[in-house]
Amino acid sequence: MIQVEHISKEFVSPKKYPGLKGAIKGLFSNEKVRKTAVDDISFHISEGEIVGYIGSNGAGKSTTIKMMTGILTPTSGQCLINGIDPSKNRMENAQNIGVVFGQRTQLWWDLPLSESFTILKEIYNVSDEDYKDRMDFLNEVLDLPEFFDRPVRTLSLGQRMRADLGAALIHNPKVLYLDEPTIGLDIVVKDKIRDAIRQINEQYRTTVILTTHDIGDIEELCSRIIIIDEGKKIYDGGLAELKDTYGTSRRVTMEVRQPELFRKIDWEEKLHADESSIETELDDEKNLFSVSFDKNRIQVSDIISSVMQISDVRDIQIQETELSEIVKAIYRHALKGR
Amino acid sequence: MKKFLRTYLPFASNELKRNMAYKGAFYLFTLCSLFGSFIQYYLWMAIYGSAQGAKLGSLTREEMVVYVFMSYVTSSLTMISVSRELGRDVVKGSVAMNLIKPIDYRLSLIAKGMGTVVYHFLIPGIFVWIGLELYKVFILHLPAVSAGNILWYLISVFFSFLIYVLFDFCFGMIAFFTTYIFGMQMAKDALLSFLTGQLIPLSFFPGIIQRLFDFLPFSSMVYTPVMIYLGRYRPSELCFVLGRQLVWVVLLYLLGSLLWKQVTKRLVVLGG
Ligand SMILES: Nc1ncnc2c1ncn2[C@@H]1O[C@H](COP(=O)(O)OP(=O)(O)OP(=O)(O)O)[C@@H](O)[C@H]1O
Ligand SMILES: [Mg+2]
Repeated sequence: MIQVEHISKEFVSPKKYPGLKGAIKGLFSNEKVRKTAVDDISFHISEGEIVGYIGSNGAGKSTTIKMMTGILTPTSGQCLINGIDPSKNRMENAQNIGVVFGQRTQLWWDLPLSESFTILKEIYNVSDEDYKDRMDFLNEVLDLPEFFDRPVRTLSLGQRMRADLGAALIHNPKVLYLDEPTIGLDIVVKDKIRDAIRQINEQYRTTVILTTHDIGDIEELCSRIIIIDEGKKIYDGGLAELKDTYGTSRRVTMEVRQPELFRKIDWEEKLHADESSIETELDDEKNLFSVSFDKNRIQVSDIISSVMQISDVRDIQIQETELSEIVKAIYRHALKGR
Repeated sequence: MKKFLRTYLPFASNELKRNMAYKGAFYLFTLCSLFGSFIQYYLWMAIYGSAQGAKLGSLTREEMVVYVFMSYVTSSLTMISVSRELGRDVVKGSVAMNLIKPIDYRLSLIAKGMGTVVYHFLIPGIFVWIGLELYKVFILHLPAVSAGNILWYLISVFFSFLIYVLFDFCFGMIAFFTTYIFGMQMAKDALLSFLTGQLIPLSFFPGIIQRLFDFLPFSSMVYTPVMIYLGRYRPSELCFVLGRQLVWVVLLYLLGSLLWKQVTKRLVVLGG
């Protein structure tokens, strides 16, 4: 469905100097600043996938989306969306895609929402029947009727985002690009948007590419994620694999009867582990004793049985690493490697 | 063709609606520009009053009255700026929102321009026009304009409109390279009010400069249709000036396509 091959984008902009003097200097100098926003990225996405495209601020996510939608022409490399190269056949490609940029709207600001939809219907050449079917579906999943007759500029951010998502789907696109579709939304609206995305994907097998800074979006929607940093791809794979590879640390917290007994024990020796793979913490007041460890090196059962030998345990809680922690670690790791 | 209309007609009708929504500002603007035309009118009358001959720049006093007000009507119908919107779209990055749709951006701008033309035709175009004809018939005791001239005039105005928007689209490309298009807009407007014959009929210029104007697209924007309205062309000349307009439409269309292709390759969309 989507083939991206060695795509790169370099921005060249004239060098700017500070101040008025600088502005004049800038007029006469010919110095250029080059910035590689996307650096040799390749991936394939098949029909019906929902892929999370994530990376820290300025990583190059939006730039990639812009190239895939035909807004920007790649400096080198190529992408094919359903067999069409968007930089060569922008119009043809546009007929097959739906796009939502969370920070912008594609709706007509001054017009009632209903008018925007009518215009889009004509632009995409949607037949009356298809339009009706689609609208029924969209009204149901996005609750559009609430504000269907209001001018777009009077809509709240959440309403506008729902409207924009609806507008991107009016022509039943094969591919849906969502660039931060949940930015600035409250939990309820976020849920609604996520639900809508899931339903669209299930009912119409729409391929979805989603960039976001909200880990919740990824966990709820994506089976596969691509992580980029500084324009380079640093991870591409399933969500479960990501957790398996990077999220191996666990934390057991136990409520113990006699916390004072735990103070003098050398856990590394007791569990035959090295220093880096285990970390303990004792909370005297709440009688909590917790151990963080790498689940590939140490068994939870070993820890628990050792603890129980020392004192009675009233309660046990085991936590996985959260995805956000993993992602943070990956971003940080990439930062260090630089 | 039907598909074409279905796609672009909404742009025109929306622009019409949008214009109507912001009518307050527009009335004020219309009033000011009409006021300008009246000043022009009184100035010319004073000049004719003190001149020896009956004709100035090959126009009689009565023809000058028609020229002043018809050039107002004509320029309000033809000089519809698209570069302003283009500049805004580029600076704000909203041009991206047009590029994700299966539409030709330039055609959508032209369609929007058509919407504005219809609006300008209704307010105040048609009223000024009718007022002028009434004035001509009842005060100046001249025959009203012939149906033939109106027809040719309208055709010429349509070409003029296309020439202007296609030219302005090319001009707007500057927006891609400099974020300072607004100053250049002002300069362009001032220059064009001269070159199109909006301010002074081109027949006032020395012969050699008039020859030069013949090779520029600007005379086709206002001067040509107004002279057609005045019935100043013989049939063969009429064919020639209309043909020349058509040539400009084609040339500017091609130039615009070429520039757009080059520019979009280098396009950077800001923000996001
Ligand atoms: N028009 C431009 N000219 C110069 N540099 C640009 C331009 N557009 C983007 N960049 C740079 O390219 C890099 C990638 O930008 P991009 O918008 O793709 O980031 P992003 O991953 O979407 O970030 P965010 O999460 O903040 O939205 C950034 O460093 C940005 O400064
Ligand atoms: Mg972005």
